[in-house]
Formats: sequence, structure tokens, C-alpha cells
Amino acid sequence: MTEGSRSRPAVLAALALSALAPLALLLLASVGRDWFFPAPWPPAMTLESWGDAFRGGGRMAAALGTSLVLAVGTGLAGAAVGWPIGRALADLSGWARHLGASAAFLPVAAPPVALATGLHLSALTAGVAGTTGGVFLSHLVPATGYAALYFLGVFTLFDRRVEDEARTLGAGPRTVLWRVTMPMMRRQLGEAFLLGFLVSWAQVATTLVIGGGRVRTLPLEVFAYLQAGQDRYAATGALLLVIPALLMLGAVRFAVARAEATPL
Amino acid sequence: MTAPALEVRGLSVPFGDAPGLRDIGFTLDPGERLVLLGASGAGKTTLLRAIAGLAPLAAGRLTVGGQDVTARPAESRDAVYLHQTPLLFPHLSIFENVAFPLRIRGYQDSEIRASVAELLESVRLDGLAGRRPHTLSGGQKHRAALARAMAARPAVLLLDEPLAALDPSLRDEVRATLLSLQAHYRPALVIVTHDLEDAAVLGDRIGILLGGTLAQLDQPDRLFQRPASLAVARFLGLPNLVAGSVAAGQFQSALGLIPVEAESPSGPATAAFGTDALRPEPCGSLQGIVRSVQYGPRGATLRVDVAGIELEVVTGAGAIPHPGDELSLGLERDRVTILPGIGDV
Amino acid sequence: MTRSSRRGLLAALAVALPVLVGVGYSVLASVGLTGPGAAGGGSARLVAVLGEPVVWAGLAWSLWVAAASTALAAAGAVAVAALFRRGAGIDRMARLFAVLPLPIPHLAAAVAGLLLLGQSGLLARLLASLGLLADPGGMPALVYDRAGLGLILTLAWKEFAFLALVAFSVVATRGERLEEVARTLGAKPAAVFRRVTWPLLWRGILPAVVAAFVFVASTYEATAVLAPSDPLALPLLTLERYTDADLSRRGDAFALALLGMTVSLLAVAAHEWARSHWDRFEP
Repeated sequence: MTEGSRSRPAVLAALALSALAPLALLLLASVGRDWFFPAPWPPAMTLESWGDAFRGGGRMAAALGTSLVLAVGTGLAGAAVGWPIGRALADLSGWARHLGASAAFLPVAAPPVALATGLHLSALTAGVAGTTGGVFLSHLVPATGYAALYFLGVFTLFDRRVEDEARTLGAGPRTVLWRVTMPMMRRQLGEAFLLGFLVSWAQVATTLVIGGGRVRTLPLEVFAYLQAGQDRYAATGALLLVIPALLMLGAVRFAVARAEATPL
Repeated sequence: MTAPALEVRGLSVPFGDAPGLRDIGFTLDPGERLVLLGASGAGKTTLLRAIAGLAPLAAGRLTVGGQDVTARPAESRDAVYLHQTPLLFPHLSIFENVAFPLRIRGYQDSEIRASVAELLESVRLDGLAGRRPHTLSGGQKHRAALARAMAARPAVLLLDEPLAALDPSLRDEVRATLLSLQAHYRPALVIVTHDLEDAAVLGDRIGILLGGTLAQLDQPDRLFQRPASLAVARFLGLPNLVAGSVAAGQFQSALGLIPVEAESPSGPATAAFGTDALRPEPCGSLQGIVRSVQYGPRGATLRVDVAGIELEVVTGAGAIPHPGDELSLGLERDRVTILPGIGDV
Repeated sequence: MTRSSRRGLLAALAVALPVLVGVGYSVLASVGLTGPGAAGGGSARLVAVLGEPVVWAGLAWSLWVAAASTALAAAGAVAVAALFRRGAGIDRMARLFAVLPLPIPHLAAAVAGLLLLGQSGLLARLLASLGLLADPGGMPALVYDRAGLGLILTLAWKEFAFLALVAFSVVATRGERLEEVARTLGAKPAAVFRRVTWPLLWRGILPAVVAAFVFVASTYEATAVLAPSDPLALPLLTLERYTDADLSRRGDAFALALLGMTVSLLAVAAHEWARSHWDRFEP
């Protein structure tokens, strides 16, 4: 593939442009004032929308807070619930294993709109429709699916004999979990948290239906700004969706790299 | 008299749906070394896991140091199980790996430091305490795993093919470490292997697992000289198995008559003996023709045709005959075991 | 049944239960037994909804967008993975840029897509500044268009990151040993790619491709930002009916949810089949 090798720098440039240009555009749009067609560059700049995002009591700031609480909670709960489910599924074999893997894939693959409408009555019955708690539970459904699928893969490859050996060295099941298995799986736990965080962070349909418009997360505000034609605010909100997601990815990578001197 | 380190009685362990191991029983004194030999798939690992509390029993009773541990979980049996490949905890340093059994038993830091230092020194890893497992060589990992096992001060150490995955130079190193640790801390050892040579070197006694049962349990010399059945003789690879029959207190075959014990039943039988029972002699009782000669480090192995039966003979010093030569052989009859049944030799 | 398989099946039930409850409710509601606008049992609502041309147009449109964007993303991912598989700096940089959009929410991507591809978006402005475009109306419609080009490009951009990640890992775990074997057997570079690299790569990423397709076919947020109102994509149609003031129309949403769920379930079955089938090729 000699011609392939020659095209590598050009393809790299295209990849960099494709990854960074949309972010640069959002940044520009979030600060550009009176930026009308056909101006290729904003005639004036303003930080007004950013002020709203970080001023106490600002609409975007409130939504950002709600989204962060939901995403962190979903990430933690998703990893905690997905771990034992994924581990139990990894013990299955034959037809039961296919069934188990499909079951975990179900909440991941279910159309978000169908999932939301299907769960709405349960939420109403339980009295959590329109509350942050109800929205959290609805985010937890797909997040648990992702985490369970992830841990299914992890535990399929996991060498349980390490745990056996720890048992015969005198560690009870709980000690093995806390002192052997969980420390060995710091990276995997971090990644499962990240999965749940991102699932909740990007969730729109379930928030819309289960929250009934009363739980205002950041994506919902971005929609509202788009519908009102406030592109500058929409772009700011979009960047606020991008930045914590990237930061969280970096933070998990960094924390794991620091905590884990050993590649498993 | 102290209680036995390990007592296994009437142990039955299922393998999936198969009958598995049946009615296994033996007793081990403190500091004694038992080697269990069996072909792969004979259930050696399953037996060790069952003793360790890692595989469920169908029946039987286990005591460790006189205490009934049959119903106890793996962590409170006082029996440490070591896998074939050393499974060090990858998230802990070598020091913390060895300290693991002490930490979970709630020892003070100062005691732990002293204990671990001593253990690491005894396996010659004292310079590597702060290292991570993945930075160690294969032999070092094995020694660290042995030190960690000893830190638990087990009454019984269960070793699953401890030398099988090692290349020859490391085998000697790990074997020596194992024996010196055992001499110092005195746990009883149960070692499973499929290697006859390891068994002979490591075992005070050797047990043969065949067809799901303990076919024979004996000291190495007795085992090799007096196999309990034709199956054991075959498993041990005794080179000379001669078919014949027992009648009126005598075993009759192409080798002539050999007296047998009075209670031996009449019928088809096989004479089993090692190469040490045969030796070239000027006026031996057996006359044969050398068919082939194979030179080795300890002399030559001859295959000699005696009345249509091919026998294996090892000669040491002296003139080594050539193929086609006539050879006269003496047979030490008390080194021959007569076993009921005939095998296809 | 052993204890561990009982526990496994219980876990399977636990993870799927919310979806099963939702499906059960949707079934009851779409045959009029419960929910908004319930009018006694019967298949009348289901038949009526499934007889509406807009429903099938919406489903077909959603499938078209999903197929087109997934195909684009998969082709790009395979090409990039084959091109940047080595350990050099340029390879690592390429892998980083390819995977960077992975954590970015679809909605943010959609906003960027709108600002870039819309009639008065950055692309139109750049064309105008080159003198190729006089007013926004002259810009070919890339958003809210019937072909869904803007949406397809936006979704392909997001999916590309995911599929590239999978393709890189497939290439990394396979290593180059099989290619080396093929070369020593006399295969030229082009033949190695066609007969070894490509067949192994596409089998490796197939389950991920199916997963991406399922996700995109039912995605709501990017569709809501970039799709036209005619034909109305199935997820948008479902939510439109669900928020309708007319209660009987609201009940229609459950029949539509079931339709969407059926498509996803078929794809899940295909995914599981693909996974178990191609798993046998793992070394």
C-alpha cells in the first residue's frame, strides 16, 4: 500500500479538521454578535451567553448543575448495578449466555422514545414523573445496560483463579471483593462510570417524557434556544455539553493512569 | 501424638455430570509430602480444589490439624492452594502480595514488616520488595507466590503442577525453594503432577489417581517395585510386562516359572518389572538376541528378544553388545510383580 | 440448573425488566386496553396506525438515514484503521483525532451541523465569500432536506469515532502476524489487504456496525434538530403523537413505539447472531 502511505499526512490533516472544526465553529458562534449571512467572521464578540452559564441563578447554569448531578449519579449507580449483573451474566454458557447478552443489550438498543413512553406510566404510578429522581431512574435504565454489557466482557476475560487463591490465603468473599477484585478493576470501574456519565449527559427523550418538561437539563435548554432562534446560546450550551464530556474522559484516564501502575 | 495435618476420608467429587472422583482417602502427617500422580483429566486439579474448598463435594469428610473443615469456606480451612502459574495480585507490590495473608489477619505493621522481610529473604527476593509482579521473571514470580503462601502459615499447602510450566533450569530453582521453605515452615504438602520424575523427587509418598479412584498410595521405592495393579504398572511405564498365567502357586510364561504368593488366584496374569530386575550375566536363566541398542547418559538401553518377547534391559559399564549378538540375562525374581489380568503389550 | 446459571438468568431479567415493562405497557396501550384514549380491547388502533402512510414513510426515512450514515462511517473507519495501524507518532495522532468526537453528545454535534451546513451556515458563508453564492436561498438544502444529507453527515461523524475505535482495537489485537504469514506465502500487499486484512477487519467490526445502526435508526435529538417535517422520522412522529392534545392520537404513540422497538429487536437478534457467529473466527 505505497500510495496509502503517501496519503497518510493528508488523511491525518482531514481527521484533525473533522475533529476540531466543529468545536471551533461552536466556540465562534457562542461569542459572535450580530453574525449574519454572509459574514464569514463575526463582526463583534460578546461573552453574554457564557455569563449566563456561570452566573448564579442563570438559566443555563441551573441546567448545567442538574445535568452534572444526574450524570454523576447515573455513572456511579450504573457502575454499581452493572458490575454484579455483568458478572452474573458472564457465568452463563450456551443458549443462556446468548439470552443474557441480548437482555443486557435490550436497554441499550431500545429506541429512547419508545423506552420513555413505555416507562412513563410506571413513573407516574410511582409518583416520580416530573421529578429529578424519576429522570435519574430513567437514565439509569440504559446506563445499567451499557455497564452490564461492559462488565460481561470484562468478567468473561477475568481470571477468577486470582480470587480463588486469595480465598485459600484466608480472605473471605467480602475481603476478596474489596482488597483484590475491585482494586484490580480500578480502570474498568472508572470506564463504567464514564459510560454511565455520558449516557445520562446526552439523554434527551427520556428527560423530556419522564421529566415532563419540569426537569430542565442542559440538552433541553439547548433545544429551547434552538427553537427560539438563539443560536449564540445554543452554541454555548452545545459547548457546555462537549467540554465536561471531554474533561471527564481525560480525568478518568488520568486518575486511572495514576492509580494503576500496572497494566492488567 | 499430634493430629494429622490432613485427613481425607471417603471423598467424592463430581466433574459436571460425570461420576468424577470416588471414595478418595488418605492421611498426611505434619511436614509430610504427598505427590498425587495421574494422567491429564484424571481429576487431580479437582481434588486439590475440593480440599481447598473451591469445588463442591458430593460426599466425604476433611480434617485439617484435627479440625473438621468439610463445611468451612475456603478462607478458613488453613489450606493454601497454589495454581500452576503464579497468580500474584497485579495491583500490589511484591511486599504487599506477601503481606496480604497477614494484613487480612489483622497483624500489626511492625510484625508484618518483620515477617515479610524474613519470607522474602528466604526466597531471595529481598531486593525486589517494592517491585510490581509484572516486572518479575518467571522464576521470581513462582518464588514470590511461594513466600505469599507461607505467610499464611498453612497446615497444608496444595500445589497444582508447580513445576510443569517451567523450563528445566527454572524447575530446579523452584523445586529447591519449595523444599527449603517446606523444611523451615513444615506445612504438609499435597502436590499434583503428571511427571514421574518430579513425583519421585518430591514425594515422601506417591498416590496414583486412575479412573477416578486412588489406585495406589505408597512410598516411591515400593510403588515402582510393587505396583498394585496392571493399570498402575502401565501408568508408571514399567517397561517389561510379560503375559502368562498363574496356576498352582506358579506364574508360567515364556520366561519360565516364577513362584507366587500362595493366595494368588489362578488365571491369566502379567509379570511386571523394571529394567533393574534384568541384568546381563554369563550364565543367566534367559537367552535372547539383541534387537536394538540406544545409547544414553547412563549407559545403553537394549531391546532383547527372549523367546519371542521383547524385553528392555539397561547395561552400565562393560562391553556393550551390538544388534544381532546373543545375550544371556539373569532375572531377579523378587523384583518381579505378578499382577492379575493380561494387557496388550 | 446450577446456582450460577440461576443467578445469571436473574441478572438478565433484572437488566431487561424496565424495557420489558415498557414493552408490555405499550402492547396493552396499543390494543386499547390501557393508557390515554383507551377504548376497550381490540386491534383497531394498531391496524389504523399501521395503515397510515406517514408511519411507513417515517420508518423508511429513519432506516435510510441510519443505513447511509452507518455505511459512510464504517467505510471511513476501516480505511483509517488500515492506514494508521502502526505505532509511529502520526498513527497515534490520527487515532486520537479519529476517536475524539466519541464522548461528544449527539445534540452538540447536531448544533454544530446546523451552524455549519444550514442555509446561512458557515459553509454557505464560505461559498458566498468566494463569490459562488449570492444569497442563502441559493445554498443547496443540507438540513431539513428530504434526503437528510446534513443529518446523515452529522451522524456519520459521530458514528465514525465509535467504529474507528472498534476497528483500531480489532487491528491491534489481530496484530500483523497473519499478514506476515500471507506475505511469506507469496501474497502481494494488495492481495494481503483484500484477502486477509479486509475480511478479518469487517468481520471484527460487524457487531459494532449493527449496534451503531440500531442506535442511529432510533436516535431522537440529532433528528429533531436536522430532519425535515415531511417525511417525519419515526422517533419524531412517535413523540409528536405522544404529546398530542387529542388523547386518542396520544395512544397511537404506543403502537409507534412498538414498531420502533420491533426494528431494534430484530437488529439486536442480528447483532447477537453476528457476534456469536464471528466470534468463532477469533484466534
